[in-house]
Amino acid sequence: MSYKIAVGSSDGVNIDLKFGQIEKFLIFEIDENIVLKEERFFDLSRETDCNAGCGGGGCSGRGGGCSGPEEVSAKVELIKDCRAIVAKKIGFQAQKQLEKRAIAVFDVEYTIEEALTKISNYYSKIDKGEKFVRV
Amino acid sequence: MAKLLDKQRYKCALAAMQTVQAIERALPILHSGPGCAQKLSDTNGSSGYFSPNIFPCTSINEKDVVFGGVKKLNSTIENALKVVDADLYVVLTGCIPEIVGDDTAEVVSRFKEAEKPVLYAPTAGFKGNNYIGHEQVVGAIIDQYLKKSDKKQKGLVNIWADVPYQDLFWHGNLREIENLVSELGLTPNTIFGYQRGLENIKKIPEAEYNILVSPWVGLKNVKKMEKKFGIPYLHCKTLPIGATETSKFLREVAAFTGVDSALAESVIKKHEDYYYYLIERYADLFLENRVINKQFTVVADAQYTLAITKFLVNDLGLVPAKQFITDDTPKQYRQAIEEEFKKLNFGLTADVEFETDGFKIHEEIKKHDYHGYPLVLGGYYEKELTEDLKGNFLNISWPVQSKVVFNSYYAGYNGGIRLIEDIYTVAVQRFN
Repeated sequence: MSYKIAVGSSDGVNIDLKFGQIEKFLIFEIDENIVLKEERFFDLSRETDCNAGCGGGGCSGRGGGCSGPEEVSAKVELIKDCRAIVAKKIGFQAQKQLEKRAIAVFDVEYTIEEALTKISNYYSKIDKGEKFVRV
Repeated sequence: MAKLLDKQRYKCALAAMQTVQAIERALPILHSGPGCAQKLSDTNGSSGYFSPNIFPCTSINEKDVVFGGVKKLNSTIENALKVVDADLYVVLTGCIPEIVGDDTAEVVSRFKEAEKPVLYAPTAGFKGNNYIGHEQVVGAIIDQYLKKSDKKQKGLVNIWADVPYQDLFWHGNLREIENLVSELGLTPNTIFGYQRGLENIKKIPEAEYNILVSPWVGLKNVKKMEKKFGIPYLHCKTLPIGATETSKFLREVAAFTGVDSALAESVIKKHEDYYYYLIERYADLFLENRVINKQFTVVADAQYTLAITKFLVNDLGLVPAKQFITDDTPKQYRQAIEEEFKKLNFGLTADVEFETDGFKIHEEIKKHDYHGYPLVLGGYYEKELTEDLKGNFLNISWPVQSKVVFNSYYAGYNGGIRLIEDIYTVAVQRFN
């Protein structure tokens, strides 16, 4: 069964964006192969003023892109059909919201190819109920 | 096919964190998922300078499964060394990192030059239970920390007994065995509990002898020490409880270590005189035959099932019903342990079964005719069962819910008296 993975990358090769910095999610579909299926855009400029501080609703990671709780929710909503998200860093607030949607979080710095190979290898094993051993 | 195990009496090998904790100022570092330490801890004296809630842990998650937890382990060890003031750090692995293939040994070896010793014991749950885990930790100390010593201390004897914390009476038992051994003029060396710790660990290779008091736990360790340090070992399969076994124990130790037998006999006499003085004073209680049960069953690990069976038969003259050993004793040791149940006084033998499934044990107890109400010494699981059978119950093995033990013990002459007190305290309440 195929599934989708969202990736945060500025160059289409490396995973180099933090969750908050992502303006364009690369959506890969994994079936037999790993295929770049689409790009989903998120308008960072529509978000709240970074300098206005936290609006009392609990503040998420401010490193890089400033992302208030509303923005996080909107972003999670945008990739809700994905099985996992891969980005350079993913803040605590965002991780919790992603977990709530049963979207697995992988905050790692690899090339897209390497990361998606590892993840898809893992999923293919556990989906079949087989023992997973890292290669 | 997968099987359900009902009422198991042990934990996974990672619970060897309790063995590490029993060494003063030693800190376990767990390479495992979050929550392992919490689940494996009991409230049986496990708080203190270090407690399971603060054991450093890599808390590995799905990401580490896919991409490796080695980096996290490295930083966890590095920071534990910085912020936790301990004498000895022991990295223990849970099942996840071992299944997916983290090279923990390699990471730990990076800390060879650290100021404090950092050791590694593989304790994945699938390797066995916490009895095996305990052996792994002691094995790691022997393999990775200690070196053969040319210097030998005359009369120094290492003493090894069963698993700290899993054995409710571990601390008191160890101290009492130490006391008895030192009365023979020997210097006991143990590593667990109050004011033992790293200094005593360092003395291990200087000992003349190892004494192992356990049916099987630790046998691997003393064999390893014989090979590596040239220390011969004496294997006393029965934890001595009461006069019969304790006197036997002292004679064996004296003969093995070359202690003058006249000295041993004088120590034995002194203790036996007092022991039988107490027994004699309570003869009326023992003779009041409606008080105590005719037949008994012990449900415990090999150590207590064997030790208490011998004590109740040899010293109290009770008749054994079937006995159960619940620690999943490795197959190679079973026959030798079964043999021990045939060496009872009065020509008696006891039927013993190695069974880990509580349901099956309970069915057998229900089926048996105890010629009256039964006496059951076991884990907390047996409490309700014994109540249903209108018997007498004493909680002596894990899990323990109906007894609090600080430094009390059943080992030795005094320990035997304690056990009689405990059993009769239960028994007399029936009528009073």
